[in-house]
Amino acid sequence: MFKDLDPILHSQLRLAVMSLLIGVKEAEFTFIKENTNSTAGNLSVQVQKLKEAGYIEVNKQFKDNYPLTTCKITSKGVQAFEDYVKALQQYLDVGKK
Amino acid sequence: MSEEKELSQQESLSIIQMMINSAKDQQKDDGKGWIIWGWLLFAASVSTVLNLHFKWFNTFFFWNLFGLTAIVLLVVGFIRKIYQRKQRGVKTYTSELFRRLNSGFFVSLWFIILFINVASRQVTEWHVITNAGFALLVNLYAFWILVYGAAMSFKPSIIGAYISWGIGFGMLFVHQFEYIMILHGIAVLIGYIIPGHIANNEFNKLRRKG
Repeated sequence: MFKDLDPILHSQLRLAVMSLLIGVKEAEFTFIKENTNSTAGNLSVQVQKLKEAGYIEVNKQFKDNYPLTTCKITSKGVQAFEDYVKALQQYLDVGKK
Repeated sequence: MSEEKELSQQESLSIIQMMINSAKDQQKDDGKGWIIWGWLLFAASVSTVLNLHFKWFNTFFFWNLFGLTAIVLLVVGFIRKIYQRKQRGVKTYTSELFRRLNSGFFVSLWFIILFINVASRQVTEWHVITNAGFALLVNLYAFWILVYGAAMSFKPSIIGAYISWGIGFGMLFVHQFEYIMILHGIAVLIGYIIPGHIANNEFNKLRRKG
């Protein structure tokens, strides 16, 4: 029985954000933007969707008079990411046969 | 990257790989810390051996000089770290681990240095304390090198740590300060300098690829 791929994660930019955050403790918005080659507007929308799903935590603060947004993956996000990779693996295994 | 594009399973996998590799690159260390501290410690050891031979200054002249340089470097390093954190924009688990453990390492280091200075003044056989103190220092280096090697999965440091421990253990049975300095220099060369240059080489290769 195939698991459905999580629609929240099965999107190019959201998946990239989650893949980036899974390997680090936390990352600034600008770091994610540079590494995913995305625009600030598009990234904001996708980050908000991940936050609403409870997959990431978004912390907004001010540092040296500049707004600083940091993102951190939650334990729910880690679980969802692991499930997504497992499901993906199933599809790819079938593709190989 | 755009949001709308329909993803195939292969594309999903390559995005995951690409981003995880990108995060992994952030964890790579340039080895400069090991190189700088390694060469400074090595220089202090070799200069002390030469000083003991030619009797230019008092025995610990070059170690006092090293101490002053270390204080300057620590201040510069602290300022640089603040600047780098602003630029980097990412906290990795290993960078956090090192940030927290670094202070512990330096406290232990200064503790042993203080011990050598205080205890050796209280006994006539001062060189026994000094020799044991340097063996303890090498033991501490080895522990820190092992922590680094294990956290970064970096074999040269893991090997260097165990060799340094062996040298430190051997130092307990050496009585002449000149030989203690030579062994200290060798431990630093194997534990700090060689792994540091290997790490730096790998880091530069990765940067060139990226």
